[in-house]
Amino acid sequence: MSYFLHLLILLEIYLVVAASLNLLVGHAGLLQVAHAAYFGLGAYTSSLLMTELGVGFLPAVAGAGVAGGALSLLVSLPAWRFRGDAFVMMSLAVQVALFAIFYNWVDLTGGPFGLSGIPKPVTWGIELDTSGSMSAAYGVMVALCIGMLFLLTRSPFGRSLQAVRDDELAARSLGIPARRLKVEAFAVASALVGVAGAMYAAYASYIDPTSFSLDESILMLSMVVVGGTGNLRGPLVGALTLIAIPEVLRFAALPDAFAANLRLLAYGLLLLVLMRLRPQGLAGQYRYE
Amino acid sequence: MIQSLLNGVIQGLLLAVVGVAFSLVYSTTRVFHIALGAIYAVAPYVLLAALHAGMPWFVGVGLAILACIALGLGAEGLVHWPLERKRAPPEIHFISSLGAFLVVGQLVVLVWGNDAQVLRTGVDTVYDVAGLRATTGQLMVVVVAAAALASTFAWLRWTEVGLQFRAMASNPSLLATLGRNVRRLRWAVFGLSGALAAISALAAARDVGFDPNAGMHTVLIGVAATIVGGRGSFTGAAVAGLLLGVLRAQVVWHFSARWEDATTFVLLAIFLVFAPGGLQSLTARRTIRVEDAA
Repeated sequence: MSYFLHLLILLEIYLVVAASLNLLVGHAGLLQVAHAAYFGLGAYTSSLLMTELGVGFLPAVAGAGVAGGALSLLVSLPAWRFRGDAFVMMSLAVQVALFAIFYNWVDLTGGPFGLSGIPKPVTWGIELDTSGSMSAAYGVMVALCIGMLFLLTRSPFGRSLQAVRDDELAARSLGIPARRLKVEAFAVASALVGVAGAMYAAYASYIDPTSFSLDESILMLSMVVVGGTGNLRGPLVGALTLIAIPEVLRFAALPDAFAANLRLLAYGLLLLVLMRLRPQGLAGQYRYE
Repeated sequence: MIQSLLNGVIQGLLLAVVGVAFSLVYSTTRVFHIALGAIYAVAPYVLLAALHAGMPWFVGVGLAILACIALGLGAEGLVHWPLERKRAPPEIHFISSLGAFLVVGQLVVLVWGNDAQVLRTGVDTVYDVAGLRATTGQLMVVVVAAAALASTFAWLRWTEVGLQFRAMASNPSLLATLGRNVRRLRWAVFGLSGALAAISALAAARDVGFDPNAGMHTVLIGVAATIVGGRGSFTGAAVAGLLLGVLRAQVVWHFSARWEDATTFVLLAIFLVFAPGGLQSLTARRTIRVEDAA
């Protein structure tokens, strides 16, 4: 049972990761390979707020969201014109620079040794120290995040964003403020993945830079692209697949040492096959044109 | 100081070769050839396997280069050409290349393991000329990388096919309209870029050893070199690779090896925002905006 709850909590966290990345990849048409860096920024921000400043769990989560959103502004305000390869390269630069900070600013982040002793979440006086209470509380938080994304993508904001994605010049000629929309979408996605990072840090109670590397960003992008882009079913399928593949491999009794590599190999094959036959992903709606 | 400059030039020559390898594909086909990172990783393992099988080193080197050419052709034949025929957008090419990178890269790990390996045993001989030190490995890097760059550029400059490459980089659809066989040129760039990646990987492996993850890292610096040098310019990629090598060595010398990647990629970001046309656009009169370049 507790193992099942462990998987459930991971699924909840990755659901927010996938849904927030989908806002960029599927709704804004921007391929982001720095999502793990924003995830890590949230994790480090909330952990440091809780351990160094004694801030409570929910304010720390909010702080993580603000940190993610603030960093995204730093990138998206000068680079809002970027799409396609230029945006990929920009996010690559962000990923490498942030990872260098996580890894090398030892005084703040603990460097390669990471941060340990991150307290379990306490909300309204209730300590969430069991997997059961934690998965329930995280379930509420995830429902709020996903609900917000659902309403956002169906709102005039979401429709306009998709118009910009499909034809930016045409959308701008109709008076849609492309720059503001992209900057806002990027900020929302980064803030949400920062929140997911804070949830991850509080659950794992130990973080180190390897969880926020370029490889993780590639895995997150693969998860979203395989699951499907442009609707909310896609990220759900993506997160389920991400959690399920290692379990399937485990039942196939393959050696543990190669589990991580086999998972990446499976993702590589899935990406190759899907891009050829079904570019919108397993359950997605939007395909790059 | 001068020593760190020398080290930078040596590292820069390797980065220049990788930069040209990436730029060859990117500038002509607009494919973000991230799979090159896995191709780069394969080369030294093939050589090592050949050496273990008792073959002489030049056979091993030949096999390694051939294997990387084959992988480059495989990327084109199995992944990018079929997508190109479906008129897939750059995003689909990028994600597919990422898929190919994962497949080949993880196969390398599954077959040969995740550990760092070396091609030589013992300490490399150190030469000392007028107070400047260089190892045999470093001297080999200089000779091999310079030869690879010189022959590539001579070929681009003076042969008919080289001219077609450069034409393809500046306007691929016009080249096709004029009756050139773009399909064959695409095969050639993918093969050539695989060969250059292999040469760079083997020289680096002889100098400092290798592991399966080195490829992605090096190729990403090659990506930075391509942008800093200017999209569409092979010479720009080589010059920028060399400059990045020197810059990285200076960062190591003045600050710490820990910040060399951050510096490289912050520079990439600065170029993307302020000079998306790269170094060449800084001297040009017409400013290239990112929409034009993308």
